[in-house]
Amino acid sequence: MNEPPLWGDNIAGQGDSMAIHSWRVPRWSVRLLASLFILLGLSVSATVDAQETKPIRIGVPTSVQLQVGRDTLTAIKMAVDEVNKKGGVLGRKLEFVSADETENPETGISAIRKLVADEKVDVLIGGYTSGVTLAQLPHIAAAKTIYLGVGAASPSITNKVKTDYDNYKYIFRVGPINAAHQARGLVDFISNFVIGELGYKKIAIVGENAKWVQDLLPVLSKGAKEVGADIRMTELFDTQTSDFSPLLAKIKASGAQYLIVTVSHGSSDTFAKQWHDAQVPVPYGGIDVKSMDGDFYNRIGGKSISEVAANFAVRAPLTKKTIPFFDAFKKLSPNYPVYTAYFAYDAVFLYADAVKRAGSFDTDKIIKELEKTKHEGIAGEISFDENHDLMTGKGKTNLIFAQWQDKGERVVIYPKELRTGNFILPPWMK
Amino acid sequence: MEILIYGAVTSAIYAMLAVGFTLIFGVARVLNLAHGSFYALGAYGTYVLTSIVGLPLWLAALLAIAGVSVFGVVVEKALIRPLRYSQLGVLMITLAVSLVVEQALFLIFGSEYRNVPAFIDTKVSIGGVDVAGQRLLTLVVAVVAIGALYLFIQRTRLGSAILAISQDAEAAKYMGIPSDRIFSLVMAISAALAALAGVLAGPFLSVQPSMHLLPIVKAFAIVIVGGLGSIPGSILAALMLGYAETLVAYLISTSWTEIVSVLATLLTLVFRPAGIFGKRAAF
Repeated sequence: MNEPPLWGDNIAGQGDSMAIHSWRVPRWSVRLLASLFILLGLSVSATVDAQETKPIRIGVPTSVQLQVGRDTLTAIKMAVDEVNKKGGVLGRKLEFVSADETENPETGISAIRKLVADEKVDVLIGGYTSGVTLAQLPHIAAAKTIYLGVGAASPSITNKVKTDYDNYKYIFRVGPINAAHQARGLVDFISNFVIGELGYKKIAIVGENAKWVQDLLPVLSKGAKEVGADIRMTELFDTQTSDFSPLLAKIKASGAQYLIVTVSHGSSDTFAKQWHDAQVPVPYGGIDVKSMDGDFYNRIGGKSISEVAANFAVRAPLTKKTIPFFDAFKKLSPNYPVYTAYFAYDAVFLYADAVKRAGSFDTDKIIKELEKTKHEGIAGEISFDENHDLMTGKGKTNLIFAQWQDKGERVVIYPKELRTGNFILPPWMK
Repeated sequence: MEILIYGAVTSAIYAMLAVGFTLIFGVARVLNLAHGSFYALGAYGTYVLTSIVGLPLWLAALLAIAGVSVFGVVVEKALIRPLRYSQLGVLMITLAVSLVVEQALFLIFGSEYRNVPAFIDTKVSIGGVDVAGQRLLTLVVAVVAIGALYLFIQRTRLGSAILAISQDAEAAKYMGIPSDRIFSLVMAISAALAALAGVLAGPFLSVQPSMHLLPIVKAFAIVIVGGLGSIPGSILAALMLGYAETLVAYLISTSWTEIVSVLATLLTLVFRPAGIFGKRAAF
């Protein structure tokens, strides 16, 4: 057996700190370890052979109980089927496995552990709640597995890439555009549409008390003031809030002419219903993630009428892939896709293309190729900045504002070049 | 004015929840952690019967309340009664029921919010305040339901039997009052009140699987503040908590309301463990 000298080398190589404790390794453990090494070596060489044909496993951590999660899975299935139909990636087929990360960080961490340790996935595509993704990051980094985020918006996620590249280079945000970019998109909407076209300068801002809103709010308030808005009130509410009547009464009393909301996890449904039932004389709109759901209008009995909800894509020719994707998705699902769906679909192709360009399954090589990504996606061109964060701007992903109108029809009202109809007021304000 | 009206509506919902909770404790010494599930099932029952089965709303609401009432009696007879000798046993089994109900709703309906239709869809203006009609209806129905319950307990033979058991279960038994049957009756009333609250508040509060938590937390806070087992205490405490939360939401911020009930519970336990109307400390 040649192992003992190897051990000796290792211990010497680890420097003086080890020597201080004067390590004495029992002989039996050396033998045990040696035999383990041999066994491991055998199994590694066996897997190298199998790797040529074994499928590439995509792990999908997402909130499977929510529309965002179900749509993520549907879209990934679409993409995987398309790639496999064309022969897979470097001769290997794709397959995916999901884990429910809910909206709770603890469950989110278990989901990542399950995917990387038990399911041994090659890449992770998913996410929704920023707080959950942030809690998962150290575990993703420790597993040295590429993570393509398609749901969470907090800039803190990709800031990790900048501050600690070596540990967090695995993290990319394929979508949505981050909360700071979203805030700027909202400011553009306030400036050009709410003030510019509707002439409403008095604005109230309310949002849920969550990480992404805390990141977004300062940018939004500052920007809105700069474009000449008169901000009458700003208030955050707990995501568990179920009675909004005091808040709605305050909004009415503030004299605001338009209400900007930023809600994702809170009960958008309840908010819309209470706003409608109390006939609050202030129209509202903003980023309202549950209002991106295709069935939102119908499931609350049409009470979101005239609400404007920002989206990242709509069934319009944003790129040449947008309309075909929306139509294909509609065949598999009762509704049009929510944002996680198109980013998840793009993410699968992004990864497949990066592997092809790298010509290998070496993680570092794939990361280098992902960084060079210039991919025509569903919502616009996808490319990453130095933080591995999705870039925004002309031709790239941006906020698109659509209004709920009669019979649950969604009409794009901003930006102007995509407009499909005119703005309406709530029925009680006509 | 806004505070006056919104506070009254919140208090009415809380009172409906707390009265049933305290009634079953006062009579049967059962701390029913599944009380919130009755509220949730009332709302979901109405949702299923209107949106999926397609029944008219009033019928769906009555059926849902009756169904939950029967469910309450079944839970009492099959699960709680065998464990009545142990307070801890009752706590565990009712907690288990609430978790089973939550998970069942989660599996069947998913975690999304569901829409329970409102009885009244119009807006009412009182003194310049816009209130949704459904909220006013909730207030009125709550007052009527609790008033009827009060008359029932004070004026009928069955009511006297309930009172007798709550005062001294042993003595009542010797007087020939069938305590087991009375327990079932009280459970049915308690479950029906919670389901009624769910049916009425469902249209404007949230309807999702973990909705049973809010009523159980509030009911607990209210009966601790008001005194466990005391119905007038529950009503008074419900009013206090309802108005306190509305005031906080109005004057400070909506994100602070949830802390009010926790704080009230803590202060009561420290300074007056028996609650406002309680005769002795419950714990």
